[in-house]
Amino acid sequence: MGKTMIEKIIRRAAGREVKVGERVWCRMDLSTARDFGGANCVLQFEEVTDKKGKVWDPDKVAFTFDLQAPSHSEKVSTNQKIIREFAKKQGIKKVFDVDWGIGQHVLLENGLVKPGDVILGTDSHMNLLGAVGAFATGVGNTDIVASWFEGTNWFRVPETMKITVNGKFAKGVCMRDLLTHIVGTLGADGMFFLSTEFYGDTIERSSLSERITLCSMVTEMSGKIGLIMPNGKVLDWLVERAGDEVLDRVKTLAADKDAVYCQELEFNVDNLEPMTSCPDAPDNVKKVREVAGEHVDQVHIGSCSNGRFEDISAAFEVLKKANSRVAPGMRAIITPATREVMLQCAEAGYIQKFLEAGVIFTNPTCALCTAEHYGALPSGDVGMSTTNRNFIGKVGKGSHTYLASPMTAMATAIRGKITDPRDILG
Amino acid sequence: MKITGKVWKYGDDVNTDVIFPGKYTYTVSDRAEMGKYALEDLDPEFTRNAQAGDIIVGGKNWGCGSSREQAVTCLKVRGIGAIIAKGFARIYYRNALNEGLPIVVSPEAVDALEKGQEVTIDFDKSEIVTAKGTFKFPPYPDFVKGLIEDGGLIPHVKKSLGL
Repeated sequence: MGKTMIEKIIRRAAGREVKVGERVWCRMDLSTARDFGGANCVLQFEEVTDKKGKVWDPDKVAFTFDLQAPSHSEKVSTNQKIIREFAKKQGIKKVFDVDWGIGQHVLLENGLVKPGDVILGTDSHMNLLGAVGAFATGVGNTDIVASWFEGTNWFRVPETMKITVNGKFAKGVCMRDLLTHIVGTLGADGMFFLSTEFYGDTIERSSLSERITLCSMVTEMSGKIGLIMPNGKVLDWLVERAGDEVLDRVKTLAADKDAVYCQELEFNVDNLEPMTSCPDAPDNVKKVREVAGEHVDQVHIGSCSNGRFEDISAAFEVLKKANSRVAPGMRAIITPATREVMLQCAEAGYIQKFLEAGVIFTNPTCALCTAEHYGALPSGDVGMSTTNRNFIGKVGKGSHTYLASPMTAMATAIRGKITDPRDILG
Repeated sequence: MKITGKVWKYGDDVNTDVIFPGKYTYTVSDRAEMGKYALEDLDPEFTRNAQAGDIIVGGKNWGCGSSREQAVTCLKVRGIGAIIAKGFARIYYRNALNEGLPIVVSPEAVDALEKGQEVTIDFDKSEIVTAKGTFKFPPYPDFVKGLIEDGGLIPHVKKSLGL
């Protein structure tokens, strides 16, 4: 009987044969924490080791500062300092401070993620690293602290769902719309505890940025991980960053042809339309056309789901085609995922054009994925965002948020009300 | 072990943002204080009036969303006896184990229980006793029981290392 990707990944990490449903101890390739939860991890580790503990391997521990970067308050600054000092004491060199951007993206850009790696982080969207075939997962601080002792933690070997996607996106439609459609179809628990493998010609042609969008939203269906084995340009990019070992991993960890799946679904994107998650849940999905004209106070483009160069480029194309600027009274914020992405935007000349059009273009950070950050919404305001969650109160008590693609978000910023990007792109 | 408590009942897909609002994840690091904000954006009545020993009853996918462990800690320090739900989101499940907050999966008991009623959970018999009947629930898997018997994940790891 053949094996799925996650079975092979966990077999590698456990160092023995495993079967679905079994709980096994795995070796971690990387155990990370960020400024969200990171200080709690440090304080807990110091407490349970009486300040004498050493992490098992300083080269396999990383810290990223992304949720509040740069810090907006003394309390956050203190938390970040706690992490910096711990890293120094432990000899942890992989500290990506407030100037770097969103953690998972920074780890990926720095060649620290390979297919088959098992990675922990204090971020429920760690699993977007499944976009390059890694098994990364968000956990609480206790799981991180436990892993720092000997570089291990336990997992249940999950069942796997197989999703095949074929077809080409029409103009104005993109991977985010497919994902929103899938979330709407399967619901908030549609991938409950599952690993999901993505296949089909739409996936094979897709960019890294599109794969990240797809895998990041597996969390919104309560999935454990979404996995895509790198191919084509994504594979070339990854080998350049993470080295030749990537090629061996791709060979040894790809799913067998006769692997057993618990569920198989197919989607075709040829006739897909721009989609949106309406307030106040990611699975409250409608076509953008159905809510077109609704008032929006603020638009935000960015986040670990849709903050890469390709996402910002797509928004830029809408702005260029509209030959216009942000609507009067609208607040439009663009936040690149990382410094590398911001530099790409600068080199492409986007930043100047966005600023001239009235967009607030910020430093790389998680931004509006949390309350208490710049751009928080007051009660009664309605936002549109390319982030991954729109639970009530998430970015401000009493506010509501639509989730949509960068193209829909930009079209909405320009017209001042929810707008199907095809109305601008033609 | 047997616990009896008063029910607070909620629906499906209750997310961690309404269990412990994101803004407090930066400003509140004292465990005891976390209890003051529990369920603030879901049920202010709970936030004001919940008593030690009360039991939360939720629908499917309780605790979906963020990885914040505070969404468990705030209920633990508030003295909540257990959560009965139709299912728990995966990160929440791990965090609850790690914090030692008992969680029980029983769709039947959830449907049978209403706010304000009394419910008893008998962990030795794996039974939930309600006014509408008694329901069996699946015990923790042996692997998980082993962690609990060692006092939790960190004590288990320390023990295996001889620390």
